[in-house]
Amino acid sequence: MRFEDLVRRHAADLYRYAFWLARDRQQAEDVVQEAMLRAWRGFPRLREGAAAKSWLFSIVRNEHYRMAGRSAPLADVIGLEEIAAPDERPALEMRDALMSLPASYAEPLALQVLGGFTCAEIAALLGTTEGAAMTRLTRARQALRRLVSAGNAAERRGGRS
Amino acid sequence: MNCLDYRRALLAGEGESAEMKVHRLQCAACIEVWREHADFEAALRQGLEVPVPPGFEAAVASSLVQRRRRFLAAAAVSVLAIGVGTYAWLGREDPLALASIDFVMKEEAKSIMMGAMPRDDAAIVLADSLPLERIEGIGRIAHIRPCPFNGATAYHVVLAVPQGKVTLLVMPGFALKSGQHAAHEGLHAVVTPLVKGSVGVVGSDAGVVNSVAGALGA
Repeated sequence: MRFEDLVRRHAADLYRYAFWLARDRQQAEDVVQEAMLRAWRGFPRLREGAAAKSWLFSIVRNEHYRMAGRSAPLADVIGLEEIAAPDERPALEMRDALMSLPASYAEPLALQVLGGFTCAEIAALLGTTEGAAMTRLTRARQALRRLVSAGNAAERRGGRS
Repeated sequence: MNCLDYRRALLAGEGESAEMKVHRLQCAACIEVWREHADFEAALRQGLEVPVPPGFEAAVASSLVQRRRRFLAAAAVSVLAIGVGTYAWLGREDPLALASIDFVMKEEAKSIMMGAMPRDDAAIVLADSLPLERIEGIGRIAHIRPCPFNGATAYHVVLAVPQGKVTLLVMPGFALKSGQHAAHEGLHAVVTPLVKGSVGVVGSDAGVVNSVAGALGA
């Protein structure tokens, strides 16, 4: 497979993953751009085509942490109202809840849902055990459920007053 | 599988296994949990799928092309710089080094006529500048002869090292502050300062010449 095809296939999910790591649009773009240049340099050494996706995600992850060490505090955080149509209420509420979720929970979720990785693959990417990855995924969903239902309850209270 | 196992497995998000499906189809409460979970997962996916900036994929591809060009250009400049540096080194014609090459090309045949020196005599005359033991530490001395060189006496040594043969020109009367290099007619020469005088190393392989000169240097 050509490197350009690989990038084109995964660019959107890599951007979204980078966004959930950085919580910043500009930073996510920069991370992906830098990561793809690094990936291009390493591409000739990639022997297993099947491992290409997790390889790209791991490069984005490394690049994020490398750049995060030298970047300014987050700014330009995505505005929910500007990205969701009014009828996308559940997604909007969920995104709001995801924004409040610690990165240690949001990251494995992004890898699972956006990247389609298994618990074992997520564990390998995060450098942890499969059991620990599964625990983080479970707790992430529990936390999201709490956040979404708390938001709904607050809205209901606001609606009654 | 019981209801607790089923709900725990759903929360981990790995999808519904055959065993889980069997439980769900037999449990009205878990059917309801499964429906609610499916809605939750759909919303989760939508929530995570933040909008990608318009034209992002093209921008990444375009940036990649530009940066690759810059990267390759920078790499080419580095290669060029190394080449120019090597050429400058090889192209140097320091006088004493060039004279050493001339000696090997023109005078070596004449010096042969003067005959070889006994080893003990050579050890005495070279003791202050380049002890024979030091030369023998890096190769086998084929022969040593005294020879006229630039108005003084130098000592011409043919030295066999593992990579081939080099000629040494030990010049007790020619002191140097720093090394000299020359390349001419396919031969390379490096002249290195010694405690007393200097030694020229001449050979056809620049790497071997450098290596021997480095080993002999003061």
